[in-house]
Amino acid sequence: MISRRRFLSLGMKTAVSLAFFQARGLWAAVPPHFFFAQIHYRGGEWDPNPLSVKPMVEELELRTSIKALTQRRVTTLTDPDFFFYPFLYMAGKYEFDPLTGEEQRILRRFLTYGGFLLAEDSMGAKGFGFDRAFRREMEKIFPNHPLRRLPPDHSVYQSFYLIDSIGGRQKVNPFLEGITVENWTPVIYTQNDLAGAWAKDNFGKWVNPCVPGGEAQRASAFKAGINIIVYSLTSDYKKDVIHHPFIQKRQNL
Amino acid sequence: MSLSQIQFAPILPLEVIFGIGAAGVAACWLQFRLLQRRLSRQRALGISLLRFGSVFLILLIAANPFWTEKKEVKIRPSLAVLLDTSPSMGLAGESGKSTRLEDAKNLLFGGSTPLLRTLTDRYEVRFFELNESLRPLQAGEIAQIKSGSQKGDFNEAVETLGGKNQLILLFTDGNMKGEAQKSSRLPLLAFPLGNQEDYRDILIRRVKAPPIAFRGKEVVIDAVIQAYGYRGLTVPVILKSGEKLLATKSVRLQGSSGEGDVSLSFTPEEIGQYTLSLSIPPQVGESLTANNKRDFSLKVVRDKIRVLMVSGSPSMNYRFLRTALKNDPAIDLLSFVILRMPSNILNVPVQEQSLIPFPVDTLFTKELKNFDLLIFDNFLYHPFFRTQYLGNIRDFVKEGGAFAFVGGSNFQGEGGYAGTPLEEILPTRWLGKESYRRTTPVPVRPSRAGMNHPITRFSADEPAQRNLWREMPPLDGFNPLESKNNGTVLLEGAEGGFWPILTVGSYGKGRVFVLATDDSWKWYMGMVAKDKEPYTYLRLIERLIRWVTKDPGLETVQIALPEKGVAVSKEVEFRVRTGSDEPKGKQREAVSLAVFNPQGVKIAAQLKATGQPDQQQGAFVPGIAGAYKIRVESRQGVTEEVLLIPDPLQEFDGSPNHDRLRQIASSVGGKVIMKGDDALREIEDMAGKMEKRFVEEKTKPFWENPYFLALIVALLTSEWYLRRRWGLI
Repeated sequence: MISRRRFLSLGMKTAVSLAFFQARGLWAAVPPHFFFAQIHYRGGEWDPNPLSVKPMVEELELRTSIKALTQRRVTTLTDPDFFFYPFLYMAGKYEFDPLTGEEQRILRRFLTYGGFLLAEDSMGAKGFGFDRAFRREMEKIFPNHPLRRLPPDHSVYQSFYLIDSIGGRQKVNPFLEGITVENWTPVIYTQNDLAGAWAKDNFGKWVNPCVPGGEAQRASAFKAGINIIVYSLTSDYKKDVIHHPFIQKRQNL
Repeated sequence: MSLSQIQFAPILPLEVIFGIGAAGVAACWLQFRLLQRRLSRQRALGISLLRFGSVFLILLIAANPFWTEKKEVKIRPSLAVLLDTSPSMGLAGESGKSTRLEDAKNLLFGGSTPLLRTLTDRYEVRFFELNESLRPLQAGEIAQIKSGSQKGDFNEAVETLGGKNQLILLFTDGNMKGEAQKSSRLPLLAFPLGNQEDYRDILIRRVKAPPIAFRGKEVVIDAVIQAYGYRGLTVPVILKSGEKLLATKSVRLQGSSGEGDVSLSFTPEEIGQYTLSLSIPPQVGESLTANNKRDFSLKVVRDKIRVLMVSGSPSMNYRFLRTALKNDPAIDLLSFVILRMPSNILNVPVQEQSLIPFPVDTLFTKELKNFDLLIFDNFLYHPFFRTQYLGNIRDFVKEGGAFAFVGGSNFQGEGGYAGTPLEEILPTRWLGKESYRRTTPVPVRPSRAGMNHPITRFSADEPAQRNLWREMPPLDGFNPLESKNNGTVLLEGAEGGFWPILTVGSYGKGRVFVLATDDSWKWYMGMVAKDKEPYTYLRLIERLIRWVTKDPGLETVQIALPEKGVAVSKEVEFRVRTGSDEPKGKQREAVSLAVFNPQGVKIAAQLKATGQPDQQQGAFVPGIAGAYKIRVESRQGVTEEVLLIPDPLQEFDGSPNHDRLRQIASSVGGKVIMKGDDALREIEDMAGKMEKRFVEEKTKPFWENPYFLALIVALLTSEWYLRRRWGLI
């Protein structure tokens, strides 16, 4: 005879195991073209918007041909699979611990050889907290390539939507910053808290209001997110000559 | 002989001679005095005088008198009769009824007193034939000689004949090699043949064409047209490839020399080796029509490999492929990425969209032929395409285009390509209804063929090659496929069997490859993760593109043809290169050679080993002019080259050139004998100046004269006789 406690215990274990294997199976059965891999760093607050990925991916699949995974993958810079992540995401509010020399080396190699990183300062305080720490680390990783405002004709503003302003939960900067090496921008940085604008709770309600622009600013945050993701997967595709007349014509409308 | 011619060369000093003479006179006087006692005065005087005479003559011998005999000697001038037998000497002469060479023979042998006989009577005459080289002739051979196939070189002839002859008699139309040369003093009398004024011909003097042209880029062909007797005429110049008309232009033949320049241009549309021709229609009264056409070869290559890539969606696979293709300066990439499917919602006005229409109709009907390679990168065709366009792709490959499928879940199963025209051209087939497999990671390794294929052979050392692929990260997904008979699997995945991952093949004139995964970009990042050089992926893509587009740089067998010096009946030698990275000691690549003449008939050709292991030497003898196809076949494929053997008649200018002959003759102090001139007199005048004379001197001593010795003997004998008669002995 099996006791009730033992029965419940086995049931719980079975359910947990099934859930675990189901999750593993999902990864194994359908490795997606695209998924968020979020960096879990030391110090600060690495996950200010835990509910942002799913709404973003849902919008991405709704609007584009990209097949993506709604589950994010949390990673560290020393993860053995790190180099196979298509889209590295890093966010925070506060100052974080300096990266170790090995972590800097890995990140530099990843970004130099084709990796991509979207970084977000969710607090939006220039020169403080996450902003200060992130700029400090980028200066160490790319001493000769400073973070700069991306020009209005950068491919990221044209990769899917034609956008001239960046929304977000807050509107600290109407532009994106980035580190550009030759024709490729492996690092894009914003202080508008895009993910804060994307975040939805389990009941489908927006977690944060967008100020001061409201829903238009949220819509702009989704457009920026989609453009950044498409850019990470197509590079400067929109700079091909065949696109010029179309883009120019539409920009003049 | 006069006394003044007599000279002395005493054999003894004069003092001795005079001493002996004085002693002799004294002895004779003493003898006379003694004889007077026994004989009468007259008889004594007679014997003494005889003795004195003998002594005198002996003393004369000691004085050694002699005389010098002078004689003037004349030498007959040596004449070189030079008969030009260049090809133009076989053309019509002045009358139009006989050839120029026959006219030359008539000049030598014709008439009641043939010039040749007179010359041989008066001069030392040697005969020569001027053709490819200078050849001595016997007089009897002259009647049989014919015009040859090569132009003679006058300067070479003068160099050979100089010093041995005083005068050259040149029978020519002036259409030979050689220039006026002031350094030579060997005079020349030239007999011009042919009729310069009435000669009529149009020929293509020069064609200036690049040996290599780029497809889609205009090629300009410059030509110089030469006309004799057609000054002021306008003629059409036609540029053709085989029977296909490429361009035509009219040219007016003007100027003092009757020349006209013309430039024709066309834009080659297909790569390959072509034999083009420039021609001018024959005109009325032309002496030659074979030189109205000039063949030349043109190799059309691509300036860049034009690649059209259609990607099913933004992906890492697309970005890394794009980076690899964009980094190659030899590749011109046009890519389309399907950013949204018809089912996607685009909730913004058009001015906020960057999406452009996908011009399928234009691309897959009109423009496809302008690309070298079409890549489908995980592309789902049916929302955008009619199956008819897949038929166009099949025809594109059949005619020599290249196609590649890189997939992706959209390759099989939901891709829906099974049963379409695309299935026909692929080197793989799908396995039932099984779709993209995403199970456990699949390691990839080179197949047996892949070990030696130029695409996947990254090292001559097999263990090193296997290790290289062991280092590569395994694939997270692939399409389970099966290779067709015409497919060669280069990379295979080992997961419950061996699955073709990279398969290459041919269809019609084109080539195809299938990369059955959209995870190949991980071969790059996987090496980055291991802190190793990641360039194997880039090199693999570069090699795939070059192989599938038949880029000569990746052909394992290459033919290096001679750039010039080829001619009919002259053995043509060329090099066959069979790859350079074979490991040492490995057997030479087996290749077979076939050569086809312009009529398409296979002719004898040899392939010989050279000192270098990766090179062989081919050779054949072209029997006729025209384009010869050289085909070399090896395990890795077939390589063909075309070699044009020029027709000498096309370059032939048969016009008499008396003006140049005049220049040459005057430069060496000679002249041209025109019609009506007295040739013999001119020869005599010229040869007379060249006549050589000299005075021969002979020294004759008196004592060599037998009469002189006989006189001494006679005097002594007479003395002895009288002495005996008169009782003195």
